[in-house]
Amino acid sequence: MSEEDERNPPEAGAAAPVSKAELDRAFEDLYRAHLRDVYSYAYYRVGNHHDAEDLTEQAFLQAYRHFERARRESNGRPLRPWLIRIAHNLASNYHRDRARKPTANIEAVEPPSHPHATERVVEGREELREVIERLDELPEDRREALIMRFALGMSNREIARALGRTDGATKVLIHRAIKQLEELMTHE
Amino acid sequence: MSEAAGDLNLERLLTDALRPVDPPADLSTRVESTLSAIAEQAAAQLSSWADELSEGELEALRDPRNWVRPVAAVAVGGAAAGALVLVEMRRRRRPSGFRETTGRLLRELR
Repeated sequence: MSEEDERNPPEAGAAAPVSKAELDRAFEDLYRAHLRDVYSYAYYRVGNHHDAEDLTEQAFLQAYRHFERARRESNGRPLRPWLIRIAHNLASNYHRDRARKPTANIEAVEPPSHPHATERVVEGREELREVIERLDELPEDRREALIMRFALGMSNREIARALGRTDGATKVLIHRAIKQLEELMTHE
Repeated sequence: MSEAAGDLNLERLLTDALRPVDPPADLSTRVESTLSAIAEQAAAQLSSWADELSEGELEALRDPRNWVRPVAAVAVGGAAAGALVLVEMRRRRRPSGFRETTGRLLRELR
């Protein structure tokens, strides 16, 4: 079993022909399992909760429309990359339609709170804020790959499928993204 | 990836900075109700297609967009009937046959 398969077991009975009710149940399972992933991705892409909610809803509606086909064509592989790809396309449309940066871009995203000791929280939050600010300076594909990798915990193979790239190209993309981010952090 | 991160431990920072964000509780309800509505709508459409045709025809008749043709047909038919009545009335007013010939002769004799 591959790394990806271990993290995301194949969708149950994905290849077998199923009734509408079974399909709806399978979609409900998919939705419950990945709502947080899609929402997190949307939030880090658009930078605010309001648009992230809309984008998440649209992503699941689109997914529902094409679920049967996606399930058939997935050959039992996990459908999370497919869902994230839908969200990715919608986010791209979102930015293209507005032809500008997000209303509140990723710089405005507040780092999440941590269960650390008080002094470490203050120090840590500054560091995290800086990471988020520098992340916004990366090219879009590099930033996206890092969001998928670290916010969603996706494997390289999953990211490759979501971005429509090869595994090798994705590995290089992530490596370069981290290297560039490190340079931005150290050459401040 | 780890070498690139170096002393900064960038991977740890990224993991902390980009933690998953929980969706608001009402989003789940919103999406679920939208999906249910779509599923119900689709099911209703399917069952209506399976129903008898007359049911569909009745439904179509209730739609005002389908009233234009019948109204136009009634108007055209009404106008044609009116024209026929008028022609018939004129025809009746005009004497014909023996009566007409007699009348004409009497007028000439006078």
